[in-house]
Amino acid sequence: MVQTTVVGNYPRIGDTSEEQKLRRAIARRDRGEIDEAAVREVEREVVVDVLREQIRAGVDIVSDGQVGWYDSQSHLARRLAGIEIGGLVRYFDTNTYYRQPVVKGPVEWREPILVDDWRYAQGQSSVPVKAILTGPVTLASLALDLHYGKRRALALDFARALSMEVRALANAGATHVQVDEPILTRRPEDLALVRETLDRIAQERGSAELILFTYFGDVAKIYRDLLELPADVIGLDLVQGERTWSSIATCGAAKPLVLGVVDARNTLREDPRKLAARVRELRDAVDLDRSYLSPSNGLEFLPRTRAREKLEILATASRLLGEAA
Amino acid sequence: MSALRTTSVGSFPKPDYLVRARAKASRGELSAERLRELEEKATREWIDFQEAIGIDILVDGEQYRGDMATYFAESIEGTEISGLVRSYGNRYYKKPIIVGELRRRGPISVDWFRFAQGLTDKPVKGMITGPYTMMDWSFDEHYGSREDAAMAFADLLHEEARDLEAAGAKIIQVDEPALATRSDELPLVVRAVGAVTKGLDAKTILHTCYGNYQDIYGYFNRLPVEQLDLEMSNSGLDLLDRFKREPLQKEIAFGVVDVHNHVVEPEPVVRERIEKALTIFDPQKLYIDPDCGLKTRTVDEAKAKLRVIVDATRAAKADHGFG
Repeated sequence: MVQTTVVGNYPRIGDTSEEQKLRRAIARRDRGEIDEAAVREVEREVVVDVLREQIRAGVDIVSDGQVGWYDSQSHLARRLAGIEIGGLVRYFDTNTYYRQPVVKGPVEWREPILVDDWRYAQGQSSVPVKAILTGPVTLASLALDLHYGKRRALALDFARALSMEVRALANAGATHVQVDEPILTRRPEDLALVRETLDRIAQERGSAELILFTYFGDVAKIYRDLLELPADVIGLDLVQGERTWSSIATCGAAKPLVLGVVDARNTLREDPRKLAARVRELRDAVDLDRSYLSPSNGLEFLPRTRAREKLEILATASRLLGEAA
Repeated sequence: MSALRTTSVGSFPKPDYLVRARAKASRGELSAERLRELEEKATREWIDFQEAIGIDILVDGEQYRGDMATYFAESIEGTEISGLVRSYGNRYYKKPIIVGELRRRGPISVDWFRFAQGLTDKPVKGMITGPYTMMDWSFDEHYGSREDAAMAFADLLHEEARDLEAAGAKIIQVDEPALATRSDELPLVVRAVGAVTKGLDAKTILHTCYGNYQDIYGYFNRLPVEQLDLEMSNSGLDLLDRFKREPLQKEIAFGVVDVHNHVVEPEPVVRERIEKALTIFDPQKLYIDPDCGLKTRTVDEAKAKLRVIVDATRAAKADHGFG
């Protein structure tokens, strides 16, 4: 029956003192009291906690919570050639901010960025850990380009760089690789560019399952074409992207989907029975046995306790779907 | 009327003794009365400092506030406060959760306004966290509609504005840092802010920051306030051409120092920003201030940034022969 997964980030701190160890460690590093290696150690402890919370809740494909990421844009960009990191910019329609990558020269991949962290997380997990990358078109759109002058050229070079990363992840043994392109919910006209860039990335995935995820809105206008993209699975935000539900029901899905049905941006607790009933309505349109339920986007926008509850709601909805089948 | 007046956006950093006191109070180791005494002391110090360096329009420095949205929510019926969520980097904050009909329990910020205004003859701004931002920064478990939640906040914040006015506020600022979050919701921002400011005699200001101003520019003149207070040095200087082509029909408070950077801008840099502003705006309608609240800087950095604003403005006034 339908499996469960997450989209990416997870609250790295909670409200208990134990859950705030990473915040304390970073503050101490900023004051010069401990070094970077000591922060990394705490980061890894938190990764283990985050994996444990997901597995305990019953999530089938987990993530490392992107615990070591400063934000979705600068984490990858800062380790590519040609990029410096600039000021704070609001991230889509959230009340969170990212350090804006400033493109000052040709973007090139230099070395593995995520591989060590992925390997560590997978070593600590009894279930598959998904490797997650911000997509080239979103990176190119949110960066400040002082070099290329054309977004397409920048996106293609980001794609070339990220395809090297995907190859390194696949070689390291990652079985699930996800590329996030939230920009598609804002600029559906970017679909062609996403296809072009994803083509390159898909070539390097080896035997890993490639997931393309869009969130922060709907993709109703481009739903049919989205399914044609060279990804094995398509992830959809069905909360802020409520309008995509009817596209799925009408057009069906030739590919497995990740159905982002649990609201990752509001604390309101969904009724898992209602969620299960709503997803069940899609059973003729979607191959639910090969698809997943997930939150609508990363869970970091919620307090830790509520993020945990959302995982439980997800797992319960999946179980209820299974029982009814 | 005078030209090129100086002001601030709202918050100032809390001195160490107050930071420690707040931590103690949150653990129940310090009484509310003692905390209040220290908040008053810090407020007095900031008012004294602003007067001493010669700022024209003062703020109380928000020494008694944690987060600007939760501070208001704590006095509003129908809300709870969430656990910590991340803002960016290693910064976290608590958000309001709307769990029922929103109603003001009583005046929220009036008491502090009265205290601060009582310390100085210069005007002190009354400060309200705007209805759109209150909505956008809250989790909503009750209304299920962003519009309904924003308008519910607007109604009770209008009562707050009325009370500030009655307490003597001549200037009321509505803070809407979330204004530029969703450009399709700008009509809602206009409506909600309008519901707060309608019928007020006080001068009204709207402050916003972190914006992609190009997208929202067309709404600037529609915002129902007399003055816009904009972050200009961090993200807005590239807007100046747009201001030339489509003049602003309001007063502007022009942010000339970046509040997210430890480095204190040298006076010539600030001076250049003021000169740029003067090429576009009528000096009578141009106010000079920091980009945003200074609370994330250290006390020394904040003071240095305020000093350079005053010094650069003074030099500009002297050169241009403004009174």
